[in-house]
Amino acid sequence: MNRTTNENSDHHLIAEFKAGSMEAMEKIVERYENQVFTFGLKMCGHVQDAEDIAQETFLNAFRYLARFREETKLRNWLFKIAARACIRKRRKKKCEPDKEISLESFVHKNGNHAKYEIPDWSDDPSDNVLRAELKQVIDAAVLSLPTKYRLVFNLRDIEGFNTEETAEILGISVQSVKTRLHRARLFLREKISNHYVEGKVQ
Amino acid sequence: MKEECKKYFEKISEYLDDELDDEICHEIEAHLKKCRECRECLDSLKKTIQLCKEAGKETIPSDIRERLRSNLRELLKRKLK
Repeated sequence: MNRTTNENSDHHLIAEFKAGSMEAMEKIVERYENQVFTFGLKMCGHVQDAEDIAQETFLNAFRYLARFREETKLRNWLFKIAARACIRKRRKKKCEPDKEISLESFVHKNGNHAKYEIPDWSDDPSDNVLRAELKQVIDAAVLSLPTKYRLVFNLRDIEGFNTEETAEILGISVQSVKTRLHRARLFLREKISNHYVEGKVQ
Repeated sequence: MKEECKKYFEKISEYLDDELDDEICHEIEAHLKKCRECRECLDSLKKTIQLCKEAGKETIPSDIRERLRSNLRELLKRKLK
């Protein structure tokens, strides 16, 4: 189903929900459960946390959906709720404050550029083991990003929201989205390349 | 890193995302033509993004999907009563 068709049918589901349809709620869950769960997983790294986030997101969504005026897409609105749930989860765990990633840390002052070795993602099924190992390295690298950078990276590069949508979901400026995304990508490139160069992924 | 490279280094993501004005895009392309190191830097960043996208594809496990649906059904029924 393409995005426009999805948006039209979202509109119908919302209308049915407002008319009291339990079935509409179930259809909304079916449509977005995978995206919301995997976003929570990429944010927290634990299946149980991702399940909690998905449950909390849908419960909150249905609590307020009757008042939802569709000024934004349903998908964006759900991710806004999910992002808040991820932030709350992190606060409850009393994690350390977010560290800043500075651009300067990636600029080599000796006049040279750093060399990066980034492996290819193989689509060959016989490379399953290699792919699983590489996926572990990438997932760990994403999880080691400070939360505010991880939120932007996951929304932009994994979920495919554009810059403006990401800014709206997170309640930050367009420029902050651009800055955080660039630094997150540079951070991930360094982490993945370091791991690869050290020979942990052959 | 040279000052000129540094200036464009800050803009690579926006360049890759096609979010820059034509003027600065042309400037970057002219610089890339003469700077091998910046070309490599751009390529490795592009490859990183692609790799993360490929590795980022996930599906909710079926047992969790069923549990989530049934928990939500119960909780929502209770709320609606």
